[in-house]
Amino acid sequence: MSTIPHLNTLRSGRRGPRLRGRRGPPHAGSEDAGRFDEEDVEIGKDRIIQQTDQDASSSRMSAVSLGYLDDPFAKTLFPAGEQVPKRYPIINRGTYVRTKAIDKLVIRFLETNPNEQKQIISLGAGSDTRFFRLCAGKYKVRYHELDFESNVVPKRAAIRASEELSRMTLPSDNGSTYHLHAIDLRDLTNKSPPVLPGMSTEIPTLILSECCLCYLPPDTASSVIQYFTMNIPGSIAMILYEPIRPFDSFGKTMVSNLGSRGIELRTLKRYYSLDAQRQRLRLSGFKEGQGARDVYQLWESDEWTSKDERERIEKLEWLDEIEEWKLLASHYCVAWGWRGEPFEQAWKEVEGGRTPDEQRDDEVG
Amino acid sequence: MSDLDKAIAQLRACRPIPEIQVRELCYKARELLIEEGNVVSVDAPVTICGDIHGQFHDLMELFRVGGDVPDTNYLFMGDFVDRGFYSLESFLLLLCLKVRYPDRITLIRGNHESRQITTVYGFYDECLRKYGSANVWRYCCDVFDYLALGALVMGAGHDLAPIDAPFADPSQSNTDADDVEIELLNSQGQILSRFPRNRGGTQDTSQLSNTPSSPSQTKEQTPSRNGAPGTGATSTSGGSANNSGGAVLCVHGGLSPLIDSIDKIRLLDRKQEVPHEGAMCDLLWSDPDEIDGWGLSPRGAGFLFGADIVDCFNRKNDLSLICRAHQLVMEGFKEMFSSTIVTVWSAPNYCYRCGNVAAILELSEDGANAGYAPRSNGDMNRSNGVQSEKEDKRPGPGRRYRVFDAAPQDSRGMPAKKPVADYFL
Repeated sequence: MSTIPHLNTLRSGRRGPRLRGRRGPPHAGSEDAGRFDEEDVEIGKDRIIQQTDQDASSSRMSAVSLGYLDDPFAKTLFPAGEQVPKRYPIINRGTYVRTKAIDKLVIRFLETNPNEQKQIISLGAGSDTRFFRLCAGKYKVRYHELDFESNVVPKRAAIRASEELSRMTLPSDNGSTYHLHAIDLRDLTNKSPPVLPGMSTEIPTLILSECCLCYLPPDTASSVIQYFTMNIPGSIAMILYEPIRPFDSFGKTMVSNLGSRGIELRTLKRYYSLDAQRQRLRLSGFKEGQGARDVYQLWESDEWTSKDERERIEKLEWLDEIEEWKLLASHYCVAWGWRGEPFEQAWKEVEGGRTPDEQRDDEVG
Repeated sequence: MSDLDKAIAQLRACRPIPEIQVRELCYKARELLIEEGNVVSVDAPVTICGDIHGQFHDLMELFRVGGDVPDTNYLFMGDFVDRGFYSLESFLLLLCLKVRYPDRITLIRGNHESRQITTVYGFYDECLRKYGSANVWRYCCDVFDYLALGALVMGAGHDLAPIDAPFADPSQSNTDADDVEIELLNSQGQILSRFPRNRGGTQDTSQLSNTPSSPSQTKEQTPSRNGAPGTGATSTSGGSANNSGGAVLCVHGGLSPLIDSIDKIRLLDRKQEVPHEGAMCDLLWSDPDEIDGWGLSPRGAGFLFGADIVDCFNRKNDLSLICRAHQLVMEGFKEMFSSTIVTVWSAPNYCYRCGNVAAILELSEDGANAGYAPRSNGDMNRSNGVQSEKEDKRPGPGRRYRVFDAAPQDSRGMPAKKPVADYFL
């Protein structure tokens, strides 16, 4: 579908290989104002990806303000003075389902052998509040958040400005620590990658990627995962939240629309279905088990969203766009994979295997 | 050139008209609409359209594909506003056309023609942005209250009026043009396919849509008409002989458990905001579904209704077809329940996001009756409550669907406002 208004065509044009770290002479045609240096294009693109956190933060704030989510920390981490954004009901519902599904997996992990020291590494965490909501003061967790410096700086400032958050991020007696790392994830794929201060390689570790690795080239995304699976030889698990199904007409339009905003979902075609995501996790070393559900399934399944919760959410806003909700929600998924304990115990009963519906994905893929 | 024609020209260029003119237009429209019954009678030939949702440039494409007003007789089944960037221009243009050519265009109410819904889904914000005050939104909402709840198309022909159109695929050009029940055309006016009347077979016309690609399209089986209607209704009719195409009821959403006859729709007091429940709400909110009887709607308003309900309602009211909108269908239209009900959707690439095509439905005039056919409304040909044998031929009118894509990119300007958080990032 090429009928979408292209608002940002300059930034979404074809790009060559990344030139990061190989800064060459300026582009031969750089006097020509109409042409962009490829490096500028890359920097511009990074900025757009960094800004996707503002979108996520706004959506979280919208969902919280309408009562979908109970998150007292969202406001503290939301830019002061900015108006609370209003999102469409389907976006609010999606934000709710995604947050709750990931929370469920994280909580099951934390609740299994609760006295054991654990580690969570959140990639591209941005303004995420999960540490404050689920972990601080409750569990023995080393919590790491990794993001671009431009996203880490305001978060650090917001934490410092809040007495409550500052207190929560102090190391506690039980061994819990909170680490905010300003890092470009691609640096983890260097030949001699940096060491993450405070990262343990010996305790059960959960890696989170909520709409983060999908912006990297597929091989880079794999290398980032490998950085962790190689450095942590023992128990390790991963939760991904990503778009899927780029090949049907909704998917194609999604790719084109986001492309016009300069957002390229680079891993989408490779990990195009629930099964492709399970496979990916298996091949990435999370051999013991894998699961995947699209957001629509997570919403409809009683195991994932209780009947009471569904009824509560349905009453919050009139959601007229039922067909659109199905479309949108079936194009995002939560996928998880693991090896070792306590993950096996925590997750083996969680519903995430292949369903008959997935046959259709194989046909279009 | 009258002021009205000037306003039409300005709106066709997608430029809003001044507030004072909107006020005048809305006043005139109300005077016109107040005279219409809850169920407007419309004579075939007519072109039936589904949701528009402020997609102005796609509405222009619809007129290009379907013919301009007043050359083509149009019936729009509501949801003119919300979601798209140009609800205001779209609705005002349709309203101007209504005032200018009252007999050539019929507008009925959709569930989005409501104060409450438009404050959630964009029309209110759009008016505020374009005029700096909510006055225009108020004028429009006052018009919404006067829109009819349904329309009854009379005299639709059993046979499609032949058109001089080439086949998109020339190798099909020898397809029999006689006894065509359904004809499918693309936006260039080329015939994509023809489906003859079903001669005793079980042809499933829903299959003429492309293979579904979205989860909303997973249910496509149309159960054949069997089993007794699940209600105690005893009045059935095999259709009257002088009404060969049968009457077609057009309504935005669907049926209501509180409404078993068209006359009951006529008795409603419609001049009000769409209520949260009750018959008027149901007509604008309900959806057909593969269930028996009635079910709860996931939308929180209206109901789901099954094939038995449609069958019973159509028999009792001597209808050959119910035509409704309200639900996004990826292929633009979807016939269900042995073609007793059809969904028509006219907003291509809905919300600039869904990747669907749109459709409009043309019903021809019944040649034998010169466009007029009395409606028996269940009083004639009463039978003793036993369903007639399945007929070899479908009783429905000939149906010509024109399918179209979103307007080409160069026909639209930059959106008034950049869409935000369309997706989860």
